[in-house]
Amino acid sequence: MLKSLAAALVVSAAMLGSIRAAAADPVTITFRFNDTEQEVRGAIDEFQKENPDIKVDLQRIGWKDARNQFLREAAVGQGPDVQHSAQVWVTEMGDAGALLPLDNFLKKDPPSNGFADFVAQDLAKGKDGHVYGLPWTTDTWAMVYRTDLLKQAGIDKLPQSWDDLRADSAAVYKKTGKAGFGFPAGSSASGAIWFLANFYWWSHGKALIVQKADGSYALGVTVDDVADAMKYFKQYMDGGDNPQSNLAASDAHDPSIMQALVTGNQAMGAMPPNTYKEIIKAYEDANPGKPVPFVSAPFPHPDDTKSSMFGGRMLVINANTKHPEQAWKFVKFMASEQVFAKYYRTQFPAQNSLLKKIDFGAPLKGFAEQFEYARTWGPYASGPVPIGTMWNLTDRAFGTALSGQSKPEEAAKGLLQEIEKQMAAKG
Amino acid sequence: MSAPASSRHWRDPGPTALAVSAVLAVVVLFVMVYPAVYVLIGSFRPGGGLLSATGTFTFRNYVRIFQSGFGRFIVNSLVICVAATLASTVLSIMAAYAFSRFDFRFKRALFTGILFGQVFPWIVLINPLFVAFATMHLINSYIGMILTYTAFTVPFSVYMLVGYLVTVPKSLDEAAIIDGASRWQVIWYIICPVMLPGFVATATYAFLLCWTEYLFALAFLTQTDLKTLPLGLYQFFGEDNVDWGAVMAASVVTTLPVFLLFLPIQGRISPGRIAGAVK
Amino acid sequence: MRDRLFITTMLLPTVVLLLLFYGYPIFDNLKISFTDLSLLGMKRGGNWVGLANYRELFRSGDLGHILFNTFIWLTATSVILRLLIGLGIALLLNTRAMKLLRLAAVSRFALLIPWATPPIVAVVIWRFLLERNGAVNEALIKLGVVDHPIAFLADMRTVWPSLVAIMLWNTVPLIALSLLSSLQTVPDEYYEAAELDGATNWQKFRFVTLPFLMPAMLVLGLMSVFWSFNNFVYVWLATGAGPGTYTNVLATEVYLKAFIDFRLGYSSAIGMVMAVIMGAFGILYLRLVARQQLEETL
Repeated sequence: MLKSLAAALVVSAAMLGSIRAAAADPVTITFRFNDTEQEVRGAIDEFQKENPDIKVDLQRIGWKDARNQFLREAAVGQGPDVQHSAQVWVTEMGDAGALLPLDNFLKKDPPSNGFADFVAQDLAKGKDGHVYGLPWTTDTWAMVYRTDLLKQAGIDKLPQSWDDLRADSAAVYKKTGKAGFGFPAGSSASGAIWFLANFYWWSHGKALIVQKADGSYALGVTVDDVADAMKYFKQYMDGGDNPQSNLAASDAHDPSIMQALVTGNQAMGAMPPNTYKEIIKAYEDANPGKPVPFVSAPFPHPDDTKSSMFGGRMLVINANTKHPEQAWKFVKFMASEQVFAKYYRTQFPAQNSLLKKIDFGAPLKGFAEQFEYARTWGPYASGPVPIGTMWNLTDRAFGTALSGQSKPEEAAKGLLQEIEKQMAAKG
Repeated sequence: MSAPASSRHWRDPGPTALAVSAVLAVVVLFVMVYPAVYVLIGSFRPGGGLLSATGTFTFRNYVRIFQSGFGRFIVNSLVICVAATLASTVLSIMAAYAFSRFDFRFKRALFTGILFGQVFPWIVLINPLFVAFATMHLINSYIGMILTYTAFTVPFSVYMLVGYLVTVPKSLDEAAIIDGASRWQVIWYIICPVMLPGFVATATYAFLLCWTEYLFALAFLTQTDLKTLPLGLYQFFGEDNVDWGAVMAASVVTTLPVFLLFLPIQGRISPGRIAGAVK
Repeated sequence: MRDRLFITTMLLPTVVLLLLFYGYPIFDNLKISFTDLSLLGMKRGGNWVGLANYRELFRSGDLGHILFNTFIWLTATSVILRLLIGLGIALLLNTRAMKLLRLAAVSRFALLIPWATPPIVAVVIWRFLLERNGAVNEALIKLGVVDHPIAFLADMRTVWPSLVAIMLWNTVPLIALSLLSSLQTVPDEYYEAAELDGATNWQKFRFVTLPFLMPAMLVLGLMSVFWSFNNFVYVWLATGAGPGTYTNVLATEVYLKAFIDFRLGYSSAIGMVMAVIMGAFGILYLRLVARQQLEETL
């Protein structure tokens, strides 16, 4: 008797409790993040502590699938409230009607350093002029050198020009038998050769896509410019200092390239900071206590031209969200200084004021220097042809030229014709 | 393990035949297993042993994948794949039996029509399917996934089972029917035992297809607590780096349950019953 | 009458399920193929463009090369090798020698390993084994077959054979184990009868074993053609359709057009053409090749 009374009491207490909980039921927003959970777990926990009325459900997806999935969900009225996006997707997704304009939030409840402090603002806007994304993190690519191999090859100064780079790479191969500048030359749709080609053009004062004074878009390179870049990179393949097998490697983080750098079979590479950090870690794991024989440096930038990109990610809010206020609160929090100072340490903040405060540390010095000589994709992203299409076409064209399937001039001509055709089709 | 029945009726091999068979078997075994051994070893090394050869032994890869939800993913995969395999096998046995034992109108058209969905590259069907699923509220649900996998494995299983069934004489069923058995009893008591190896083969196919499927799972399961093993494995492929150690550990963990599940099943295929059934 | 009810019961669930899952999406896909629908415009929908997508596809300069890759390498070569190797392994595992050597059971489990490996992992492993410093090159150099490492996935002479090898590793076990199951359903009496007639091992294989294997072989052959023809995973992950567009196939073209160029309309058109090719193949195959084995008994 007593027992059942006690049980009844417990049950009713539990029911009361659940009713109270329901009354203060927190709003749940979904955040879909494209990197690993542990990078943002701390920040999310802190946000939930500060905002007990908002619960954040973290979903994970890979970068390669993130945009497709988000677009199809957005089209049927679904999807996460807040989505992690590449900078260059925002304009397109805004135009697709998938994103919530942020203009009102920026006016009423701006981030603490103001919107003007953010990098890559041009990429945050749709063609209709609305702001669709808040720049969140930024990074850039730089060159990485293995100093012990350079020394063995008799090179005591890091290359300053593209010609130096070529000569030093050949010298390493000739004197040590190891690979020189082993870059990924593969042709897949998101291959790294796209970056190298653009860096090469930019540092020569050109760009694949430019915006003219009247606002229209045009090709900013000639067939010769493209063929020159192809011939330049082809020398590495033909000389053998970039092994033939790298024609099948498309990513800077291809394990064979990383392994070659870690084990000292390759002297030079080009990559984003996180790949570089991974290489240093693998070297330290394999050689405990030994000094790390790597340095980073900017890509050649003769005449102070740009030679790498201000890459990075933004946070966007789904047009279908039922909780826009809470979503904005979360987005703003994630871009705040405390998050980057305390929790999210694997990326650099996309705000000039915060970027200046960062101590990059000796190994990443080259990346810090590179930021001075970096530009955004700008017209590439706002222009008529999707950036992914140009990226794919460029990788294919370089692939045929570098593998010797076609002459650089032909491949270059084909590439520009195809892009022009698509520009004309899209107006 | 019982040996295949027919082996008893071949002459004993001479020493040369034995040696040749042994060499062939070792080559096959080596090619099949070596890459997996490579993964197994890598799963106990930092970075999967890919970035440098001198790695130390570590369990950290396994700890990491279970911290990122692999326990849950195993359960999800098991629920979805076992249910889909059962559904697919039962439906296929029913359909295959009807196809192989009866004559009816539109039979050929239906039999060919089952292949309808198999002629499409699945990637073009993803978007239309997603839209259809969204209207039916089947996104992020076990049921949706189970139905999908059933629908995608049934055609092969029906064809395969018809292929097996046509080698079983119809006289078997007819004799039983004359003795007063119902069709269901025929299927259960006569066809099933004879067809056991065939069922196991098609069930294995259905199960492993679900177990390794990525495209549909990606589109239809976005909630972390519903994800399947292949999705869990893919999360270690980052934009700037890949957690190779975790990928290899995840791959080992993905393969293990398959063994635990199929060891006992494979052991039960007893060829003796077949001989008895035909008499 | 009772039979009719029984047949309906047996077939209805499958028919309904397949119609539900394929019917609408395929119809939808057909509609999309006549529009310029973009992945970015899924909310708005596409504009009707009639046959423009199909015209563009048939006029594209790359088509011949893509079809050659799809038909010859991705499909014909891989399917024929898969069936032959699968049959070889099944027969080997079914021999008396395997039993005497106690290898039959072990091998059956070994075959589950590649089969249970997700394609992404299979590709990753093989990419690494085929690397410049990978195990395959190391072995070839040690054996004195070559003196320089081969760039298997980059060299135009080796890239397709390498791709086919990766596909085979991952898919042969399905064939081998399915055929092995067929071998296991051969009733002992048939062999006994053959023995009484004084049949040789070859005759027993030819007149007892093979007839039992044929239906399964035919089904596996047909399905392998569908799967290979429509498969984009191996090519996409191993070479990204490169170098250049050297290993591009129809299925990777679908992926490129849909998810890189956002052209869902155009990629749907490619998908329809692929389906028509495979549909025609399927019908011809069933009529001409498999008729005796499958349809006659139907």
